[in-house]
Amino acid sequence: MNTLELIQQLSAAVGPSGREAAVSDVLRPLWEPWSDELRTDAMGNLIALQRGNGAEPRPALMSAAHMDEIALIVTGIEKGFLHVHRIGGTDCRALLGLEVTVHGQEDLPGIIGTRPPHVLSADERGRIVPWEKLFVDVGLPHAEVVARVPIGAPVSIQRPLIRLQNDLVAGKALDNRASVAALTLALQQLRRREHAWDFYAVATVQEEVGAKGALTSAFGLNPTLAIALDVTFGKQADDNGGGTFPLDKGPTIGIGPNFHPQLVQRLRDVAKSEEIPTALEPLPGHSGTDAWSIQTAREGIPCGLLGIPLRYMHQPVETLALRDVERTARLLAAFTASLEADYRPRWEDEQ
Amino acid sequence: MDLELLTQLTQAFGPPGYEEEIRAVIREVVTPLADSVWVDPLGSLVALKRGTGGGKKTVLAAHMDEIGVMVTYVDEKGYLRFTRMGGISPLMHIGGRVRFADGTVGVISVERREDSSKIPALEQLYIDVGASSREDAPVKVGDPAVFMRPLVAQGRRLISKTLDDRVGCYVLIETLRRLGPTPDDLYFLFSVQEEVTLSGARTSAYKIDPDMALAVDVTMTGDTPKALPMAVEMGKGPAIKVQDSGMIAHPAVRDLLIAAAERVGIPYQREILLGGSTDAAAMQLVRGGVPSGCVSIPCRYVHSPSEMVDVTDVEQTVALLSAALAPA
Ligand SMILES: [Zn+2]
Ligand SMILES: [Zn+2]
Repeated sequence: MNTLELIQQLSAAVGPSGREAAVSDVLRPLWEPWSDELRTDAMGNLIALQRGNGAEPRPALMSAAHMDEIALIVTGIEKGFLHVHRIGGTDCRALLGLEVTVHGQEDLPGIIGTRPPHVLSADERGRIVPWEKLFVDVGLPHAEVVARVPIGAPVSIQRPLIRLQNDLVAGKALDNRASVAALTLALQQLRRREHAWDFYAVATVQEEVGAKGALTSAFGLNPTLAIALDVTFGKQADDNGGGTFPLDKGPTIGIGPNFHPQLVQRLRDVAKSEEIPTALEPLPGHSGTDAWSIQTAREGIPCGLLGIPLRYMHQPVETLALRDVERTARLLAAFTASLEADYRPRWEDEQ
Repeated sequence: MDLELLTQLTQAFGPPGYEEEIRAVIREVVTPLADSVWVDPLGSLVALKRGTGGGKKTVLAAHMDEIGVMVTYVDEKGYLRFTRMGGISPLMHIGGRVRFADGTVGVISVERREDSSKIPALEQLYIDVGASSREDAPVKVGDPAVFMRPLVAQGRRLISKTLDDRVGCYVLIETLRRLGPTPDDLYFLFSVQEEVTLSGARTSAYKIDPDMALAVDVTMTGDTPKALPMAVEMGKGPAIKVQDSGMIAHPAVRDLLIAAAERVGIPYQREILLGGSTDAAAMQLVRGGVPSGCVSIPCRYVHSPSEMVDVTDVEQTVALLSAALAPA
């Protein structure tokens, strides 16, 4: 399977936060051939272990990419139409006209519509449609909708992946399936390389609602070090310059209090020796990713973060460069293989 | 009052996540005073003073980190754009100076604006290190910097940058210096990253697994012109936390502090802080929960480069902690 097919398959999988089992189902056969152990923990995180060849007790690197996606949830039924609200940071500006799947007793196709422009007041026309005026229509009469769609049913967005020019792809849930793809590729590459450390690949749950799966899996695994993978803001036409990163110029390496300075340096060094382009991403506090949950688990776990630049985050047209996914995988695998059996990050004043 | 130590503490570099310099200063002072000293995975420094019995564990936490800025962009002419590390307001910093870890100094200024009556956004501020081009700038994206301002002692008042929370670090060190034998094992925790996420205190408290936790930090006051009403004044004694926006102090911890103050005759104030919190909020929620409280040093102009505290308040905070931890 090439990177495009891998991302296609992962993007199509349905995994609203708290309901990620279908994504694990896609991942399990992909990870199984490259893992010494594969299991799902109590929260639903999928955890693969690839043992290192160092002496026991071996240090462990945990690499986490969240597999949940932003989505909607049914909050009410009015005259046969479904009221919905967001799961995670779904952008309500980007919902009109979407095709969705309502995960009721069985999956039902639906669409999101609102009143046509002809009948709106001038004032209404210029405004974003508020949540209470957005409806999902599954085409059924009221009584049947009530019978088949329980309140609380998740609603996922449908959007087949498309390929743009220059090896860019656009679609839904690339935040963060792109990183899950990178993690998958890294697992594969690492099998062919010598590595002293144990490597845990973790597809985490519930990142979009507070990085919860990373918190519990980091607690459970208690790794020596961790690298989180997530997407970051890609440069686009109308951004104001700061805090965005060009597509197809390599992953970003987070720098700031959420990350151990020695891991940041080591990631940069490895990228340099592997000739992988990267950019530094200043993150002055909480990074808003799994990295924070992992760093603050137990007595603290030194952590790093790789970001894949992506445009239009949390809209159904998330866009990124396939090569950045491959570069991220390569950097992660090379970083893992570079860890000497006795390596531990230290603070500058301890050396 | 050991002004030399407080000067050293306030002037050492230590934005969140970059506490090496301040940690080295504190480590040197506490190492001869403690039974053991270590650095936790996220960089917090812990000095353990063993107790005489029971083996109960109490944490006293003061944060080493300070508010600062981080460079996000260096333009063609060598001017720097930056983001905040912790709670900083543009109003406080225009015309001020920052210092980078390597000693490079920069001036904070602001773009010309159409409407100069409005408070500028942080994005409109820039740092000028005197460079003439991007290549010439001695600073790169991701570099952190802190504000510059010396410590001045004027009568009973102290004015300096970073009294939040180096004055708390000072109180911990002085307490460690003066305390005789105590029943509990005391963990003096000099935490990292309080100003952004409280993650240093959280992780170190997890490791220590304490029976009680106290934060020592500054708090705001209600005694300046048109201040938000608040029943804490500078110079009226240490403030014993009842509540802030991050936690409700455990009543037993609060009352232990109040009883100690009353026993030895230290004036104290009951503190309710509407906007802000401390390491205690994080330590309270570690593992199965830790009874937690906080002793605060009243401080005017918190998070400005010229914070102000009262010497007597500082000394009485040391006395209060000593009384609470080593009951006669
Ligand atoms: Zn994400
Ligand atoms: Zn503070």
